[in-house]
Amino acid sequence: MEDMRIWKDVERGQAFEIEVDGVQVVAYEGETVAAALMAAGIRTTNRTAKREEPRGVCCGIGLCYGCTMVIDGVPNTRACQTLARPGMRLETQKGLQRWEVAE
Amino acid sequence: MKDPELIVIGAGPGGIAAAVEAAKAGVTTTILDENPKPGGRIYGQFSDGFKLVNPKFLGPDYEKGKVLLAEFDTFREKIDYLQDALVFGTFENRIMTFHQAGKGHRIPFNKLIAATGAYDRPVPFPGWTLPGVLTAGGAQTLVKMQRVLPGKNILFAGTGPLQLVVANQVLDGGGKVEAILEAGEINNWLKLLKGFSRNWGLLTDGLQYIRGIRKAGVPLLRRHIILEARGDRQVEEAIIAEVDQDWRAIEKTRRALKVDTICIGYGLVPSVELKRLVGCKHRYDPDLGGWIPVRNEDMETSVPGVFAVGDGAGAAGSSVAMFEGRIAGISIARSLGHLSSEEAAKRKKPYLSDMKKIRRLRDALDRISYPRPGLFELAHDDTIICRCEELTLGDIKNAIGKGTIEMNELKRITRMGMGRCQGRMCAPAVQEIIARQTQTPAAEIEYLNQRPPTRLVPINMLASLPGEFEIRHGW
Repeated sequence: MEDMRIWKDVERGQAFEIEVDGVQVVAYEGETVAAALMAAGIRTTNRTAKREEPRGVCCGIGLCYGCTMVIDGVPNTRACQTLARPGMRLETQKGLQRWEVAE
Repeated sequence: MKDPELIVIGAGPGGIAAAVEAAKAGVTTTILDENPKPGGRIYGQFSDGFKLVNPKFLGPDYEKGKVLLAEFDTFREKIDYLQDALVFGTFENRIMTFHQAGKGHRIPFNKLIAATGAYDRPVPFPGWTLPGVLTAGGAQTLVKMQRVLPGKNILFAGTGPLQLVVANQVLDGGGKVEAILEAGEINNWLKLLKGFSRNWGLLTDGLQYIRGIRKAGVPLLRRHIILEARGDRQVEEAIIAEVDQDWRAIEKTRRALKVDTICIGYGLVPSVELKRLVGCKHRYDPDLGGWIPVRNEDMETSVPGVFAVGDGAGAAGSSVAMFEGRIAGISIARSLGHLSSEEAAKRKKPYLSDMKKIRRLRDALDRISYPRPGLFELAHDDTIICRCEELTLGDIKNAIGKGTIEMNELKRITRMGMGRCQGRMCAPAVQEIIARQTQTPAAEIEYLNQRPPTRLVPINMLASLPGEFEIRHGW
């Protein structure tokens, strides 16, 4: 798998895996979901509701909602504002997606 | 403990400087910030897990930020600092609401400083919604704070020094930059930087960035613009062209570049939602990014007791933000009786004179790089303008053709600005679209009204009102 990480000038923490649409992807402690996905060359985080067009990380600071995904069952979660955690499950979001309420 | 006398929203350079000055004078101060660590975008700190080994790639901002954050640290006991606290508006007079750790909170205020920052200007052009089109600021966050390259083959398109900074950081990280397009005249601002570098060290950095880019052999194309991003599922190609003085493309110069990433940096738009929500009067100033609050020399807005500092009150950079923050903090301390007028004037003086110096430079820079008309004419009828509701330029023109000439009416008719970003990504462009379609000066077109919540928050948190809402008395 490709790795777009820059390894100079910083040391990363613990490596672990997250699951993206059923595929295991490596992430490091302190990384956002967006960074882990970009590092693996995964760019599409959702498809839009009407035109079903692909979207991905755009503003990178949590304002544009371009990078929303279903993260651990919660749709409309911003990949750029969510820290990756071991065992996290990500799904490419389709439209606004149904909200599964977990009790 | 009683309610704080002052609440500051935003812990970037402006907010921190304001909180520090206020606390220094004895004002009880609470600062709220949506991020896990203080510093804002520019002085943001690495997440836990990263260990910084060599800060050189962070440039001079890193050292400046360290000084300010250390100063903030020495006042930690006196300043109530709330991190991960997302302020989403106000439902009652002089009470702010925020979301923190899954719960809603209310915080009453006497004095308020909004230091809400700015974001990259959204520029609609064909293909701008494709994965692989990022803002320059977004790319910078990835490269600087997450140490990930945004792509393999990167094109920068924009104006002013920010994209040069980011391009350098990409190159330093081993990334490949295909080209950098500057819509304006680089020579003009090079001359300007040279003129100022004698008395202001700040932008000699700018020259270094240009040197770095030249050394790497990256073409720096002046008077060029991005016209279109093409690709099936992500960016595969960029169409670029040379532009005239008004940034309108010279058709015969159109050409394609094979790239997988396009970073867009056409300046910043101030985040004014909260200030508009509390009723501050705004004016339209394209040089400073669009709508900005009207302020007096103390940084107080038209709403008594509500102050605005930093890029959120007019994009002018981190130094101006700090000076403005300090001036606001001192002014508030004086108005609350913690400082005499003489003492306040004495404390303000160095910041006022520094600000004057840097303002002159910024003003000159702004005049060179404010967006020219061509930037607002890149979209075609089938280009998405409102990303959330998937409305095209054609949809908006259609509504205007039926008689809509006002942004709030346009919103009600088309749902423009009603999606998750709440108009942040479309409204600055729609302002200019309406201006063109109706031949009205952009400054005369009223901006989107603000309604709480100004940010996307979980409905269960809102639905729990008022039971779960706590008034933060006695914190």
